[in-house]
Amino acid sequence: MLILIFFFSYSILAAGCWNYKEIDQLSVVAGVAIDKGIHKKFSITVELVEVVSGKEQQTKSKTVTVEGKTIFEAIRNEISLIGNKSYWGHAKVLIISEEIARKGILEVIDLFNRDAETRSDMQILVSKGRSAREILEAKGLTEEVTSFELDEIIINEGSVSNAPLIEVWRFTNTLATEGVGTIAGVVDLKEENGKCRPYVMGTAIFRNDKLLGFIDGDESKYMLFVQNKLNGGVLFEEIKGKDEDMSVALEIFKSHTKINPIINDGNIEMQIKVEVTAAINELGGTINVIEDDEREGLVRTAEELLKNRIEDIIKKVQKLYGVDIFGFGIKIKANYNKEWKLLNGNWEDNFKKLKINVETKVNIKNSGMLSKPLEIGD
Amino acid sequence: MFGKKNRSTDNNGMDKNKNSKNKKNNKNNNNDKNNNNDKNNNNDKNNKKNNNNKKNNNKYSNLFLSKSLEDNITLFETIFSDDEMFVTRRFQNKYLNKAKCCVMYFEGMVNNNILNENIIQPVLNNNLAEEINTRNLFEELQYKVIVSNNLKILNDLDKIVSSVTYGNTIFLLEGYDKVMLIDSKGWQTRSISEPESAKVIRGPREGFTESITINITLIRRKIKNSDMKFKFKEIGYRTRTKTCICYIEGLALESIVNELERRLDNMEIDAILDSGYIQEYIKDEPFSPFETIGASERPDVIAAKLLEGRVALFVDGSPFVLTVPFVLAEAIQSNEDYYNNYIYSTINRIIRMFSTIFAISIPSLFLAVTTYHQEMLPTQLLLSIAASREGVPFPTVLSIIIMLLIFDIIREAGTRMPSPVGETVNIVGTLVLGQAAVEARLVSAPVVIVTALTGILTLMNKNLIAPCMIIRFVLILLTSIMGIYGFVFGYIALIIHIMSIRSFGIPYTLGITSLRNHDGQDIWIRAPWWTMTLRPKIIGAKNLIRQSMKRSRRQ
Repeated sequence: MLILIFFFSYSILAAGCWNYKEIDQLSVVAGVAIDKGIHKKFSITVELVEVVSGKEQQTKSKTVTVEGKTIFEAIRNEISLIGNKSYWGHAKVLIISEEIARKGILEVIDLFNRDAETRSDMQILVSKGRSAREILEAKGLTEEVTSFELDEIIINEGSVSNAPLIEVWRFTNTLATEGVGTIAGVVDLKEENGKCRPYVMGTAIFRNDKLLGFIDGDESKYMLFVQNKLNGGVLFEEIKGKDEDMSVALEIFKSHTKINPIINDGNIEMQIKVEVTAAINELGGTINVIEDDEREGLVRTAEELLKNRIEDIIKKVQKLYGVDIFGFGIKIKANYNKEWKLLNGNWEDNFKKLKINVETKVNIKNSGMLSKPLEIGD
Repeated sequence: MFGKKNRSTDNNGMDKNKNSKNKKNNKNNNNDKNNNNDKNNNNDKNNKKNNNNKKNNNKYSNLFLSKSLEDNITLFETIFSDDEMFVTRRFQNKYLNKAKCCVMYFEGMVNNNILNENIIQPVLNNNLAEEINTRNLFEELQYKVIVSNNLKILNDLDKIVSSVTYGNTIFLLEGYDKVMLIDSKGWQTRSISEPESAKVIRGPREGFTESITINITLIRRKIKNSDMKFKFKEIGYRTRTKTCICYIEGLALESIVNELERRLDNMEIDAILDSGYIQEYIKDEPFSPFETIGASERPDVIAAKLLEGRVALFVDGSPFVLTVPFVLAEAIQSNEDYYNNYIYSTINRIIRMFSTIFAISIPSLFLAVTTYHQEMLPTQLLLSIAASREGVPFPTVLSIIIMLLIFDIIREAGTRMPSPVGETVNIVGTLVLGQAAVEARLVSAPVVIVTALTGILTLMNKNLIAPCMIIRFVLILLTSIMGIYGFVFGYIALIIHIMSIRSFGIPYTLGITSLRNHDGQDIWIRAPWWTMTLRPKIIGAKNLIRQSMKRSRRQ
């Protein structure tokens, strides 16, 4: 019995407080920026959260930049700078500079997929035209910690739809899937009152893991329409009336996109059906577009506009990049597997030649709290 | 030691008993093998016990009552020598000289009015020479003269002595070698009042007292039925404490009644001052913090348990009546659940249930999450906990253990304090230890919150305070070494332990693990009365149907 107790307690005690660490001794990493190093291959900038307790608790952040031949080496080198081992369990964003991204980001994201401490739901952002470090060092508008602010921006991006929401795991998955191209959000700085604020807008398009180029925020919205990932946003249109022109803003509540590949005379054609439920949210004039007859016109213009924009962005991507970021390949593979096997070998060229046919439908749900345009009485 | 003894005596009892049901019960109780050694030990023990008994009997075995009154008086006076509370009163009938009598009793134990008016006066004043047949004086006195509702004739000295010490009066008559024992108990008892330990808002306000007779009356008044059986036993060879096994014939399993009797018979103890002695002595799992025998101070609770087929044990001198078998679910049931609206009761019961689960797991989970698995915390919470820990010198484990110990110290200090002093304890506890400790950065604020929460949750179920306290510390230690793995291991061990306990052959987790049929309706929830048509399984197996489904509500 005594021996049993001895062995039991020994096996417990020998385990020796595996992984024990007090919460206040952690250097919590909020986000990381990866640039090309001057001396070594990578230069990584880590944003650490500092909590200052006192009468009122304050959250501050500081950034530390270190270089290393690999990302992991850089992270470990950082210990000798900050004293503590950094804790990556709460890191939110991974910003990659354009320079690194153009060379390929496989070796960057490998660690963030492999390591047990980092989360695979970190947001991937590409810094357009600037070093990633600059973005982490800029202060956000609402939060003290830039990375947390960026994280919040991306999450709330859903109601603007200016940039895609791409986490590390999603990026890795898309990278491994054939028939769809990889994308990531774009982050940049905007000067405001003499201070630089980070903002997220646009999409970075990759061929495999190498950056090809960017599309802007508005184009990103129509790209999201095609990808059926749009959760909200604004449709803006101009109405031509008898006396005046009027701008109308529609708020998108629901959008559903169906992509059907059809074979026509041996050629594959993508049929894209977009159905949008929206509400009139803003009228820039006095033309009554709410009445039945007028609304018809409004809907038609909206449908027309949506169709044109979607066609534009698809054509642009086809022409400029030739990367199937919309996932047409997946649809073809699912529906016409035999044909896909033929196309697959040279999908990029085939994608460039792919015919598309966009159909749009807009449903107007309501006109907000008012059932009429504002009136001007003389 | 203790366990072995119990077990070995178990075996012996069962060997003697040829009741097949009993054997089954025994199997349930003792899965352990019948050890030969144990049996031998046991025989030795039995011999010893017999010797003891003999010794006891020896005390009076060479003394006998004689036909001479004076000899008998001397006999009793020698037995109770040096006890000045022992009163001897000789008297004689006015008309019949032959009727020389004597009453003996203990002062304060008897009701003097009964003695004077119903015994001494009739014997003294009546014209015995004419009224009765003087040849058979002893019987004639008993039948025609002495006014008493409870009277026994005995010549066994042992019984006489124990009876007179319990407040009865000895009546001796010249020329007879036997004694009339007249019930004249007249000591003071506490009145029936609401028990402090189990107050209710809705429900009867009676509580048991220290007198076994009053306690039994309280039960009999609730269950007016001839099936109620009461079996008396004296336990403790010095205190000679009266105990009473009570059950409803046709509901209680004989095997449980027999098993209880057997365990009581095997007890060797010199004094019993409270039912707690017995509770610990006959417990199934001597080393477990969980109670396998219930205790209640409320007659309504005991009556309800008897009606479910349980067996009660009254102990003289203790207002706590024991019930067997006792299962875990009973610890979180409250009598008020059954008197209040069932929806309200169900909510209360669920709160009680989860508060117990949380009471043992909150401190260790907090510890695991803050020292091992910080990724499980939301970022904002992580930052605020980190901020509050800034500058605190001790590790979280230590501060949690210290704070919980301090909480237990305050609880223990407050329990037996007179109320003015108790308030001081409160102030010291809340202000000094809570607020000041945080401000002085000795502990972090979340630790104080966790401690306070744990403390309140623990106190919710007073039946489970002891197990909660012990398990909590074990889990904290395991968690501090292995993080959430340790917590899970501890929890698994706890569940295995609970699952392995039997109370008088009944699984301790009865009803908890099953939701079929009527199993869970009085465990996790309190179902409406009209749906509880069955008694709890196994315990009430003898007569499962409690009532019909019909409700007598408006048609």
